[in-house]
Amino acid sequence: MEEGNSIIYGLEHQTRALSPQYGESDAIRFLIGTQSLKPNSNQIHVVELEEDTGALHTKVFKHDIGEVWHLRCSPHDAATLLTTHNSYDPATSQCTMGVSIFKLPTVEVIPKDLDDLSAIQSRNAEDMELLLTIKPEKPEEEIRCAEWHPTDASRVGVVCEGGVRVHDVTGGAAISRAAASARLKFTGGKWNPHQGHTQFAVLQDTHIKCYDTRSDCTKPSWSIDNAHTQLARDLDFNPNRQFHLASAGDDAALKIWDYRNGKEPIFSRTDHSHWVWTVRYNTFHEQLLLSGSSDARALLTAAASVCCDLDDDGKRLSQVLEDGVLQSYEQHEDSVYCAEWSAAEPWTFASLSYDARLVLSRVPRHFKYKILL
Amino acid sequence: MAEAVKEKEENPLDIDGSNFNPDMYLDVLLKCATLKQVMDKEAEIVTQSQFLQSEMQTLVYENYNKFISATETVRKMRTDFKIMQEEMNKLSENMNKITTFSAQISDSLRESGNNVSRLCGTRQLLDKLQFLFLLPSQLNKAIEEGRYADAVHDYTHAQRVLQKYGNQPSFQSIQTECSEIIYGLKKTLRERLLSPDTSASELAESVGLLRQLQETDSSLQDIFLSCSESRLDQHLQALSGMVESTDILEWVEKCNNTLLADLGIIISCYHDMFQDKESTNIPDFADKIMLQVFHLFEEVVKKPDNIGTEILIRGLDKFFRKLQAMTEIISSDTMSNKAIDVVIQCINHKATIQYQSIQSQFKDSLTKVRQSLASKGTDTTDLKDILNSLQVYLMQKVQASLLDLMAFLQNNLSFGLKPWCATAVADTCWKVISETMINLSDMVKKMACLQTSNNNIPFELLLILAKLCLEMQESGVSTLHTHLLKLLEESAPGLAVQNKDTNSVMVHLSTAAQAALDSEVVFIGQTAAQMLRVSVLARDWLRAPEPRGPRAVCRRVVETLASADSAASQLFPTSIKPSSDSSRRTIWSRAPSSFSPLNRIFSERIEVFSPAGADRAALSNGALKVALKALVECVRLRTFGKHGLQQLQVDVHFLQQRLSCMGNDERLLNALLEDALASAQLRCVDPQLMEPSIVDIICERG
Repeated sequence: MEEGNSIIYGLEHQTRALSPQYGESDAIRFLIGTQSLKPNSNQIHVVELEEDTGALHTKVFKHDIGEVWHLRCSPHDAATLLTTHNSYDPATSQCTMGVSIFKLPTVEVIPKDLDDLSAIQSRNAEDMELLLTIKPEKPEEEIRCAEWHPTDASRVGVVCEGGVRVHDVTGGAAISRAAASARLKFTGGKWNPHQGHTQFAVLQDTHIKCYDTRSDCTKPSWSIDNAHTQLARDLDFNPNRQFHLASAGDDAALKIWDYRNGKEPIFSRTDHSHWVWTVRYNTFHEQLLLSGSSDARALLTAAASVCCDLDDDGKRLSQVLEDGVLQSYEQHEDSVYCAEWSAAEPWTFASLSYDARLVLSRVPRHFKYKILL
Repeated sequence: MAEAVKEKEENPLDIDGSNFNPDMYLDVLLKCATLKQVMDKEAEIVTQSQFLQSEMQTLVYENYNKFISATETVRKMRTDFKIMQEEMNKLSENMNKITTFSAQISDSLRESGNNVSRLCGTRQLLDKLQFLFLLPSQLNKAIEEGRYADAVHDYTHAQRVLQKYGNQPSFQSIQTECSEIIYGLKKTLRERLLSPDTSASELAESVGLLRQLQETDSSLQDIFLSCSESRLDQHLQALSGMVESTDILEWVEKCNNTLLADLGIIISCYHDMFQDKESTNIPDFADKIMLQVFHLFEEVVKKPDNIGTEILIRGLDKFFRKLQAMTEIISSDTMSNKAIDVVIQCINHKATIQYQSIQSQFKDSLTKVRQSLASKGTDTTDLKDILNSLQVYLMQKVQASLLDLMAFLQNNLSFGLKPWCATAVADTCWKVISETMINLSDMVKKMACLQTSNNNIPFELLLILAKLCLEMQESGVSTLHTHLLKLLEESAPGLAVQNKDTNSVMVHLSTAAQAALDSEVVFIGQTAAQMLRVSVLARDWLRAPEPRGPRAVCRRVVETLASADSAASQLFPTSIKPSSDSSRRTIWSRAPSSFSPLNRIFSERIEVFSPAGADRAALSNGALKVALKALVECVRLRTFGKHGLQQLQVDVHFLQQRLSCMGNDERLLNALLEDALASAQLRCVDPQLMEPSIVDIICERG
C-alpha cells in the first residue's frame, strides 16, 4: 500500500458491519458482515492485508442466520466473533433479530500452498461454528448492537431499542439490564474501558447515558444531555484518558467530551456535510480520530489540543499536529457507516460504505513522522 | 618798508638817526647848499639846540621835586608803621585772650553736650525696649484681631534684636513669650491651612506668612500642597456627591467655580511663593487633581440624565473653556492633551451610546417582528414590508445619530472648529456606522447559531435578516458613508477625511447573511427531515397495508418546504440562470458504474450541509437536500414488505410531483428520491413495485 493509495475491496451485498480482529496483534485483519434480505446469502468476509506486499487476502464464511447489522470480534480470542443479525421469516412475515457468537475454524487467511489458494480463489464460503444465539425477549424487538466485555470473556452487552442487557455467554441469560424510556429508544452503545469495566454507555436520541451494569438500574451513573443537536449516532471512549469520549451525530458534528462536565464539549468540529455514523479513537495515538459519514467520506481528524500532556512543570508539551482534518478519504461512493482502525497496526484503518466497498487506507506518512518524531 | 627804515637808520645823513655822522653831514651840506641855505640851516640848528637845552633843564627840576616829596613820604611812613606795630601787638594779645576764653567755655560746655546725646540714645533704646515689651501684647492683639500679617511683620522686626540680646534675662522672657505667641500663631495658621473653611486666597496668605516665619520651603510646599489637596478633595467630594443629583451644566458650573478656580489660585500662589523651585511638584499635583476631576467628569457624562446632546455639548464646552484657561496657568502639555482627550472621550462616549441605543432599539423592533411572525402565518405577513421597515428604521436611526454627533462641530463651541475635533467626530461617526453594522451581523450570526440549537426563531426572521444584511452590504453602508461625508463637508468644510475601510464591515455582513441563510436552510431541511425520519422509523413497513394514498407526513413535508419557499420568494428573487444546473449536467454525463443503481446517483457527490446561495431556488434546493437525504438514510435502516415498498413508492412519487416546482435542480430531487426508492427496494423482502399509472392515480386521489 503506497503512500496515499488506498486498497479497495468490493463485496456483493450491502454492508454496514465491520470489525478489526481485536485478538490478533500481528496481522492486519478486518471482518465484514453483509446485509441482504435474500435467504442464505449473507457472508462474513475476513480480509487480511499483507503489509509487506500490500496484497489483500480474503476468506469468506457463511452467515446463514441472517443479515449482519453489527459485528464485533472478541478481544479475548481472535477466532471468536459476535454478530447482531436480522432475518425475515416469510411464514410469519416477521423479522427477528438476534445476537450470535461464532467461532472461525481458522484465523489464517493467507494461503500456505496451492490447494489453499485454489480453494480461496473459488471463493467457496466456509462454515463457522455457531456457539450461541441470544434471542430478543420479545420476537419483534430490535437489537442495535452487541459488545464484548473488555476483560470478562463470558460477558456481552446487548443494546436493544428498549434497553441494555448484559448476558452471560455460557448460558445466554441476562445478568443485568437497564431500560430506556418508551419514547426515546437506544441507538447504540459501548463498554466504558475505564472505571473497572462496569459501565456501559448508550446513545439515546440526542443524549449519551452511562449505566452501571453491576445491578439493574433505571438511572444513569452519568449522562451528557443534548450531546448533539440531532440524533447521536456513535461514541468511542478514549483508550488512554479515562474521562474522555468522542461522539458523532446527525448534526454532522464530531465532538469530544470530558463527561465529568457534560455541558460543553472540549472539542467540536463540523467537517462532514451529512450525518456522522461512526467515530473511532486510534488505539495508540489518541489524537487521531477516524470518522465516517453518509456524505460518503471518511475523515482523519486530529484532536491534538485536547490530547496534550502536561510535563512536570505543568507546561503543555508542544502540540505536534494542528487540530482539524488531516486527510479526507473520498474513495467511497455511498454512505460510510463503518470505519475502524486496525488492531495490529496503528497507522492502518478500514472504512466500509453501504455499496459494499471496503477501503483500506493509511495515515499519511508525514503525519505519522510528525507524531512519532 | 623795512629796508626803508633800515636805510633810514643807516643813513648817516639823518640827523635824528643813530648813525648820524656830523662831518659827513657837514660836508654834504657845505657841498650841496647855497650860503643862504647854510645860514638858514645854522640858524635852525641853533634854535633846535636851545630848545633841547631848556627841555632838559625842566626835566631835571621836576625829577628833583619828586625825589624830595618821596623822601618826605618815607619819613612819614616810618612813624606810621611804628603806631601800627603797636596796634598789631595789641590785637594779637587780644586774640590770645579770646582763644583761652573759648577753650575755657568749650571745656565747660562739653559735659552737658555729652549728657544730651546720651539722653537721646537712651530715649531711642527705651522706645525700642518699649516696642519689645509691648510686642507680645501687640502680637496677641494683632492675632486676636486677625491681622496676622501685622503680627508677623512686627515679629520679624523684633526678631533680630531678640536674637542678639536673647541671652539677657529680661529679654529672654520676652523672647520666650514671643516665640510662644508665634508658635501659637504658626499653629493657628496651620490650623487655618487645614481647616476646610478657608478660601484659597487665605490659604495662600497663610502660607506666605508661614514662609516669612522661616518655615523651610520644602516642608511648606508639602504642607501647602497637602492642605490645598485636602481642600480640593473636599471640592471633589462635593462634586462627586453632586454627580448623582445635578445635570452636567450645573456640575460643570460648580466645578469651574470651586475646584478649578481654587486650583488656579493655588497654582498661581505656588508659583508666586516658591519661584525658585517651580515645576517639581506642581505638575504632579495638578495632574493628580485633574485626573480625579476628569474621572468625575466622565462619570457625569456617563450619567443617563446627561444623554441629551445639547446639554452635554454645552457642559463640555464650558468645561473645555475652563480647562484651556487652566492650561495656561498650569502650562503642562499633559493637561492640554487631557483636555482634548476629554472632548474626544465625550464624543466617543456619545457615539457608543448612540450605537448601543440603536442596537437595543433594533433588538426591540426585532422582537416585535418576531412576535408578529410567530402569531401570524406566513401568508398574511408581507416579509418585504417587514424588511423595508427594518431597513428604513435602521438607516434612519444611524443617520439621526450621525446628525446628532455633528453637533460637536458647531462653530460657537470652543472646540468646534478644531481639526482634531472634526477628525474625532468623523472617526466616531464612522464607528457608529461600522459598529451598528457589525452589531447587526453579530446579532444575526448569534441568532443563526441559536437557531440550530433551539427552534424558537421563526425562519422568516432569518430570511429577513439575511436579506437585510445583504441589502446593507450592497447599498446601505455606502449610502451611510456618503451621507457621513456630506454631513462632514457641511459641518467642517475643508476637513480631509480619509475614506474608511468598508471591506471589513462588508465581510461581516456577508458572513452574517450567509450564516442566516445556512441556518434557515438547515432549519427547514431538518424540520422536514425530522418529520420524515420519525415517520419512517415509527412505521411497520413490513406489514403495512396496501397504499391508499401518500402518507400524511408527506403532505406536511411538502407544506413546510413550500411555506419556506414562498417566504424566500418574497425576499430573494430567483436568479435567471440556475447557478448549478450546467455544472451538474456535466457530472451527470459521466459513465454510470455498473455495480449498482445507487452508484449512478453518487457519481455526483451531494453536499448536504453546504453553504446556501442567496436566491430562492438555491435555498429550496438546500432544504430539499437535507430532507430527502434523511429519507434515504432512514429507509436503509428499515425492512420493507411488498406493500411497504409500494407505499414508499407512492410517497416518493407524491414528493416528486409536489416538490419539483421548488428549487431549480430537478435532477438533484430525482436523484435523491430514486435513491430512496432504490434503497427501499434493497431493503424489501418482496420487491415488487406498483405500476406507475396506478401510483399516479393513487397520488391524485390522495
